[in-house]
Formats: sequence, structure tokens, C-alpha cells
Amino acid sequence: MIKLLFFGRLGDVACDAPKLIEANTPAEIRDLLAADFPELGRQLREPQVLVSVNQMIVSWNQPLAAGSEVAFLPPVTGG
Amino acid sequence: MTVRIAIQQEDFNLAEEYEWLRQISPAVGAVVTFSGLVRDFESTDGARNAIDSLSLQHYPGMTESLLQEIVDQAMRRWPLLGVTVIHRVGKLLPAEQIVFVGVASQHRAAAFEAAQCVMDYLKTRATFWKKVDQNGREHWVESKDSDQVARQRWAADD
Repeated sequence: MIKLLFFGRLGDVACDAPKLIEANTPAEIRDLLAADFPELGRQLREPQVLVSVNQMIVSWNQPLAAGSEVAFLPPVTGG
Repeated sequence: MTVRIAIQQEDFNLAEEYEWLRQISPAVGAVVTFSGLVRDFESTDGARNAIDSLSLQHYPGMTESLLQEIVDQAMRRWPLLGVTVIHRVGKLLPAEQIVFVGVASQHRAAAFEAAQCVMDYLKTRATFWKKVDQNGREHWVESKDSDQVARQRWAADD
């Protein structure tokens, strides 16, 4: 299973989304989520949303190993 | 080279942070400190709206390693003797301190530039997200293009 984390505004639209999922890439996770949660799917497809695997920013086609932590990151606003 | 990175709910003490940077080495000839505060308003499409509080969320673990990378990059670019980065999380009220960057070096140019560079990268890369509470209504802060522009002036080293 892959563990999912949603930060910032994505957390608000993902409150009913699964936090564990079976998938081979972040892009596949995004498509699976979009099927059940259209607004979440729309926001995950925004070009400025980044994805990390085990806390490293990666491409959406990065192959996933079982037990990975995938996080969806909207543009950051710290400081 | 001495580095301190902290993500915490508690406030920080500017005098103590300055003292810490000052005593790192007798070779320190310049200490530049930056403190970011919570404004009591937000500008949205030219309008100025009062805010009640901010809530800061971050990605534990990833934020610390991104801040370390940002500091490492500054250390490769300038001859620095010490760097401190403190970022607060949780609920913060207007006028509270939110972020601190302090840089110690032998000469001022490196300290000024490195402090600015670290802040510009922190604003655009470090995994923090701000939520505004305005009269009981909450919304997430949108990122600003001007912050990306500010970071890009250091891009030669990117």
C-alpha cells in the first residue's frame, strides 16, 4: 500500500479521500482519486501542484515501491 | 561552519539568536538578522483586509531537509561562519514573530546577500502553508509571483 498525504488547500478537498491506496505511479494515484473526487482531481492536475515520494520531489511518473509515502504539495506560502 | 535549523511553535528571542551567531567565532565580523512578523492585514486584488490570525502547517521531516539544502547552497556560494533558520508553526496572531534568518560571516556583503538568498528560497521552496482566519472564515494564502521573481535573481546557482 502507498500512504497519501495532502497539504494546504488540498487537505480540505481531500478530507473524504482514501489515505492508503494501491498504485504504480503518482499519476495513477491522481487518476484514481479524480474518478471519485472530481474537485480533488482538478486541483491535483494544476501545473503548480508538486508531488513527493518519501519526502523527495519527483516526476508524476516515478515508479512507486510498496510502503512509499506520497505527498501532494500546493504552492508553498511560508516565511 | 555552524548551522541551526528549528521549526517550532514557541516564539524566539532576537537578542539570544544574535548572541549565538556573534559568539560562533572570533573571526565573525558581520551578523545580519532578518525577522518576519505576522501583518494584521492581507492584500487581495488591491484591497486591504484585516486578519485575526494565521495558522501555519508544514511537512515534518521534509521541511527540515529542504531548509538544510537551502542553507548548504548558501554556504557553497558565500564564505559563511554561521546560519540560523527558525520558522514557527501553529496559530500566530498579528505582530507575532514568524520567521528568523541570521547569518554570520567575516564581512558584511556575504552576510547581507546570504540572508536574503536564504529567505527567498525559504519563501518559494520550503514546505509551509499559511491559512488566514478572517472573522471566523478561513482560507489558504495563495503564493505570490513576486516571491518567485525574488528567488530567480539567485538562479545562477540553481
